[in-house]
Amino acid sequence: MIGLNDYAPIVGQEVIDQLQRLAERLGPRRFIHVNSTRAGGGVAEILYRAVPLLQQLGLDVKWEVIHGDQKFFEITKAMHNALQGYKVHLSPAMLDHYREINRENARKFTWESDFVLVHDPQPAYLINFLRPQAKHWIWRCHIDASRPERHVWKFLQEIVSQYEASVFSMSQFAQNLPHPQYLIRPSIDPLSEKNRELTTAEVQEVLDRLEIERDKPIILQVSRFDSFKDPVGVIEAFRMVRRHTPCKLVLAGGEAIDDPEGPRIFAEVMEAAKDEPDIQILLLPPDAHHEVNALQRAADIIVQKSTREGFGLTVTEAMWKGKPVIGGAVGGIVLQLRDYTTGFLVHSPEGCAFRIRYLLHRPEMARRMGKMAREFVRQHFLTTRNIRDYLTLMILRENPTERIMEL
Amino acid sequence: MKISPDQPAENPFAFRECFLMPMPIGKKAINLRELLQAVRELDESVLYYHIFQSRLAIAQPGEEYPNEFARWAATALQDIKLAEKLSSFDPFDYDNLAQVRQAVVDILEEYLWDIPYVPWARSGFEFYFCEASTVVMRSQIRADTLLKFCESLRKVGLDSMYYHFFEARWRLGVRKADDFSFWIETNFGLPELVAAIRGIDIYFYSLREIRDTLLGLIHQHLGELCDRTQ
Repeated sequence: MIGLNDYAPIVGQEVIDQLQRLAERLGPRRFIHVNSTRAGGGVAEILYRAVPLLQQLGLDVKWEVIHGDQKFFEITKAMHNALQGYKVHLSPAMLDHYREINRENARKFTWESDFVLVHDPQPAYLINFLRPQAKHWIWRCHIDASRPERHVWKFLQEIVSQYEASVFSMSQFAQNLPHPQYLIRPSIDPLSEKNRELTTAEVQEVLDRLEIERDKPIILQVSRFDSFKDPVGVIEAFRMVRRHTPCKLVLAGGEAIDDPEGPRIFAEVMEAAKDEPDIQILLLPPDAHHEVNALQRAADIIVQKSTREGFGLTVTEAMWKGKPVIGGAVGGIVLQLRDYTTGFLVHSPEGCAFRIRYLLHRPEMARRMGKMAREFVRQHFLTTRNIRDYLTLMILRENPTERIMEL
Repeated sequence: MKISPDQPAENPFAFRECFLMPMPIGKKAINLRELLQAVRELDESVLYYHIFQSRLAIAQPGEEYPNEFARWAATALQDIKLAEKLSSFDPFDYDNLAQVRQAVVDILEEYLWDIPYVPWARSGFEFYFCEASTVVMRSQIRADTLLKFCESLRKVGLDSMYYHFFEARWRLGVRKADDFSFWIETNFGLPELVAAIRGIDIYFYSLREIRDTLLGLIHQHLGELCDRTQ
């Protein structure tokens, strides 16, 4: 079992010591996370490691998952898209179903807690049924809600306003809410199967199994097959690069059980990529962490050409592997990539093609940017920082009137 | 003046740790005029965040600009001339945040006065205002000799560097000097070392660079002493 001390060689012993001191000051609080899936997507990945680490720090932590039928997840996916700005219509019957599934889930939860952190819209309505069971209710929004669709946001705003605070991944996602809003940037786990160091043989084994030859530079995008990730735009960019420079494109898409749109987008991608032997499309299961790790380490350039993005953890993962990353200039990608330092931001398939060519012709520059990217992630986006933020947030919420809390 | 590395301090140095939780306030600026208006009106805590605290919250490696206004001018407005002006202003030249605010307002006003257009941020690069809540914790790391002080500097996080060089000076309004040089001065004298530490161009350096520079200075002044901590 991975323990806190295993992170010391990566982040430094002082960071681990600090977490222990902070947790001691906080004391043994009960802390519950609620989300809608145990596998697939960035939230589940964060919780998978954060929960046991918080337990090791002496907190009594539970991770609860709400269950729902396909209709419920279609509704919450529509909410998710609406928060990201898409026009969607949710009928009164759909909203009733959303409330009803939350009510059914609430019946199963008998815990009592000091803190509850409810992740994203799916379980947000639980507060209506469970409020007395916890002292502090905090809503954690992982979605790019910078320009939400008005009707859906009004519906959610009423629910979220009942929480005592909310947490967003970026300052631009903050909303007009009657309570304090905090910023906690997401994180990746450097010891997880998706991010741990791999040997050359391990990488090669995955490439062999997935039938990817390393005969040309590999351009990679790893993301769910979702229109906001613009996989078709990546194929367009690749085709432009290919006119000048030999390379191959790998699009590796995971599926998440809360995403009913996946299959349709996947079909569109297959159509765009047909008759092109240097494009490989991989539909990977949600637990293909080892494969994703190997693909990222084998890639020469990693792309994340999103048109909307919460934070973009795939960018963080790629940076951690010391790769130059080209990302769409949206959401958290803007925060992570700085032109010529830690990556490139692009605004179009043409821009993406231009930067791919730029890096393919300047391997030394690509290496230097990858190295800087890794250091940036080490300092700001690893699990240990997320744990520290949770502890700090709890201390602040227990003393809500203090802006500077001296312990 | 020679002192023993084990000479005890009258008052041990108690390192503090500083945990920052940024709090977006839901306001943004999409052009320079809006930034100016916001700098005039927003709470000092917001100004403080973007001029000082943001370097603890997040900083790119090799960050070129010392505050977020300068960086925004360069990357979002793509106006290097303005970025140069905002980078060269030093908030440590002023006694309080009201004066710092006025200095930033003056730079922005003068700049807008001289140009026939209002620079706009490119899409996706709007300036989002934040403030922060802070948890300050007395660390268990204490130094009662210079030898231990050197050891401790390597053990504490960058947040401690931030706290003792920035937070204590501004937020708590204690004194002009940083905590480290004040402690060395009041416990050991060592005027040359104290002057050298106070001469560090801290606003321009990253927190990591400040720590390395500080260790370098102590090493230079007390070579033998510092070597024993390696």
